[in-house]
Amino acid sequence: MATIHDEIDNWLAGDLHGELSDEERSALHAHLVDCAACRKTHQETKLMNKILEDTLVQEKADPAFEQRMLSGFRRRFPQRSGFVKLLNDLIRLRAVQITAVAAVLLALVQVGRMITGESATMPRGREDYAKKDLFQQPSRFAASEPARAGALDKSDELAAGRPQAVPLQAPPPSSSVEAKDKAEAFARAQAPTATESNLSAAENAAPKPAETPAPELANRKLIRNATVHLEIVSFDDAVQKITAFAKEERGYVATTDSQKQANGKLRGSVVVKVLPENLDRFLQKIRGLGELKNQTLGTEDVTKAYFDTDARLKNAHVMEQRLIDMLKTKTGKVADLLQVEKELARVREEIEKMQGELKYWDSQVQFATVTISLAEKDMEEPAAFLLKERAQLALYAPDVEKIYNDVKALASQKVQITNAQLNRDYSGRVSATMSMLIAPEESEGVIGRVKSFGRVENFQSQTERIAQSGSGMSENAKTKRDKVELNITISREEQEQAFQQSSLRIRTSSVDERAKELRTLAEKQNGRVRSSSFSRDPDGREFANVTLRVPMKNYNVLMQSLDSLGKVENVSVQRQDRAGAQIDEANAPADISIQVYSQGNIVSHESGLLATLRHTLAQSAGAIMWSLRMIGVAIAFLAPWVVALVALIWITRRVIRARQSGS
Amino acid sequence: MDASEREQYRAAIHGDREAFEMIIRTHSRALFAIAYGILQNREEAEDVVQDSLVKAWKTRWRVREPEKYPAWLATIARHRAHDVFRKRRTFPLSEDIIESVEREPTDTTTLDRQLHSALAALPELHRAALTLRYFEEMDYRTIENTLGLTNGALRGILGRALASMRKQLRPALAPMD
Repeated sequence: MATIHDEIDNWLAGDLHGELSDEERSALHAHLVDCAACRKTHQETKLMNKILEDTLVQEKADPAFEQRMLSGFRRRFPQRSGFVKLLNDLIRLRAVQITAVAAVLLALVQVGRMITGESATMPRGREDYAKKDLFQQPSRFAASEPARAGALDKSDELAAGRPQAVPLQAPPPSSSVEAKDKAEAFARAQAPTATESNLSAAENAAPKPAETPAPELANRKLIRNATVHLEIVSFDDAVQKITAFAKEERGYVATTDSQKQANGKLRGSVVVKVLPENLDRFLQKIRGLGELKNQTLGTEDVTKAYFDTDARLKNAHVMEQRLIDMLKTKTGKVADLLQVEKELARVREEIEKMQGELKYWDSQVQFATVTISLAEKDMEEPAAFLLKERAQLALYAPDVEKIYNDVKALASQKVQITNAQLNRDYSGRVSATMSMLIAPEESEGVIGRVKSFGRVENFQSQTERIAQSGSGMSENAKTKRDKVELNITISREEQEQAFQQSSLRIRTSSVDERAKELRTLAEKQNGRVRSSSFSRDPDGREFANVTLRVPMKNYNVLMQSLDSLGKVENVSVQRQDRAGAQIDEANAPADISIQVYSQGNIVSHESGLLATLRHTLAQSAGAIMWSLRMIGVAIAFLAPWVVALVALIWITRRVIRARQSGS
Repeated sequence: MDASEREQYRAAIHGDREAFEMIIRTHSRALFAIAYGILQNREEAEDVVQDSLVKAWKTRWRVREPEKYPAWLATIARHRAHDVFRKRRTFPLSEDIIESVEREPTDTTTLDRQLHSALAALPELHRAALTLRYFEEMDYRTIENTLGLTNGALRGILGRALASMRKQLRPALAPMD
């Protein structure tokens, strides 16, 4: 009983406080019987316990203690009411605090995202990472930014350092130490290797990829493919060389296709299958063919899918055998047998599908696919240029309809009228618009003829050089003239705005006669009277307004001849220069409006002494009326002020008087 | 600890006054015992309990697990009592008492004093355990819960406390045999 003896204090305390189990108590008592020292201690402890009980009981809190504590608490924290309490409690709650902090953080993150424009992405699951790390490592090494040359070199080295999935025993030699290190690291990542047998067992258990012992590298099924964009000088040459390279690397050209562009350049693609271990060397060779525009190198790991399918295929075979056995024994109902047959058909179909899949993978794994896109240099060079001419012609003619028909009659094989329109509006004005396409060799002649039909008001021609299928300059591209597009508008001369407008007055004694003379003068100068009017006013003065239109070339002659009619006054000339328009100035119309008038010879009613007197009286009466009205206005304006002032004075006086009488 | 008790603690943590007042009713005696164990002065101990309750209510949100609520209360009381004890250290009561004990060893009131001085000489935890046991006659499990001790540690503590008391008071005990 050494333990009891050693720990006698604890045992005794437990005994005294009734915390020993029955066995413990009997053991203790047995020891006490044996051991004198412990007996003595027991006595003392018992006494000690007694004293403590006796003494400390006096010091115990009195019965009202709890009540005091409660009231003290209530004094310190008076019961708060309703909402304040709720709010207070809520703020103190840790959950609420955490939520608030989280909300603030989240808001900050969102604001940050909005500022940086980053889209929200969910973090990927751990399993996802595991998969990616294990399986996409090779492709990540290989498929880097291919456009940059440096990156390209590096990716190639890495690719070279990576082990292959073919019946290949050792990784191919690598020139770069770094690449080798990486390859080793990769191999280590795959470290816990599995043999064929335990692999399938592992596959059956369907574990997560990260936990699966990875199969040996040599057993991995990797599909490698690459795409290369090259700019070369000659397409056929390049294809021949590629074929040669493929042969050297024990591969073959699977497909080629090419297209000829309009400018004679060739563009196309070649698909080459090479052994995966030769892929990198092959790519290196191909790059020498021309300028490398783009290259990607990818590896797809189908190991898991492959062996999954393989395992399933084996299972399906077993299943098939079992079903066949069932059919052989031929027990059971017909319906059951039919069911079995059906099932068998399904299983076989599945088997075929899986076998097909495996075969496909095998073929993909066996050869790496290289897709080479080839384009000859200066692909974008234009094939030809087209000269496009567009002309606009505006004609004035006395008879629109006639010219319209004349132009229409020009139509032939080489002159095609695409649009012809004759418009006549309600006031009888006629105009025509026509569009035609003219063969380039005919264009000069046709346009000249159309011009001669009437007076050309405007002619514009513009030529455009259009590059076909491509852009930029080309030295050997041909230039071709296209059909000339001609748009014609024909209007009546009457509608034409005058090129120059003049107005003048002629004083004469016999207006009517002079007006008639004017008409004959104008006709002599190839002009026409557009309008004329005659009037006589109450004072006996006569006015004749005549508007003439003459061609510009005859204008000066006409103006000189006008002097013979009488005294020419107030000549004003206005000319409208239309910028950019080609104008036949000699034939352009000039308008002259002439007022022929005579001084009146009848005495007016409004003159003489009586009239002067009447005028004077009327004017003075008007002046008086006006001043009266002004006075009225002034009174009307001042009256209220005067009234107010008077009222104020009156009230003040009253008040003063009332005070005086009061005192 | 049964479910209703835990629910009560949980409610108190979440600010339920009724629950907290119920806890005052049931736990303040234990807190008093602890405080008294440290201070050996009833007035001071009572003040300590009052202060501890106030502090407990103010900072109730600090407790995460309702199970630890009683132990947390006890810790507050112990710390508070300790603070008070430290503040009055300028008057070293215990040594006075020891001297007086030495002068008049056999008187019953002197026995009382001796007892107190012996108590004062014990480690704080031991004192608290003793007072909890002798004031409230709590069973070991409850005391362990209250003081936040592991299972079975209390027996050793009480054993050692009793033994040390016994040794200190042996001269006074001898004539009583």
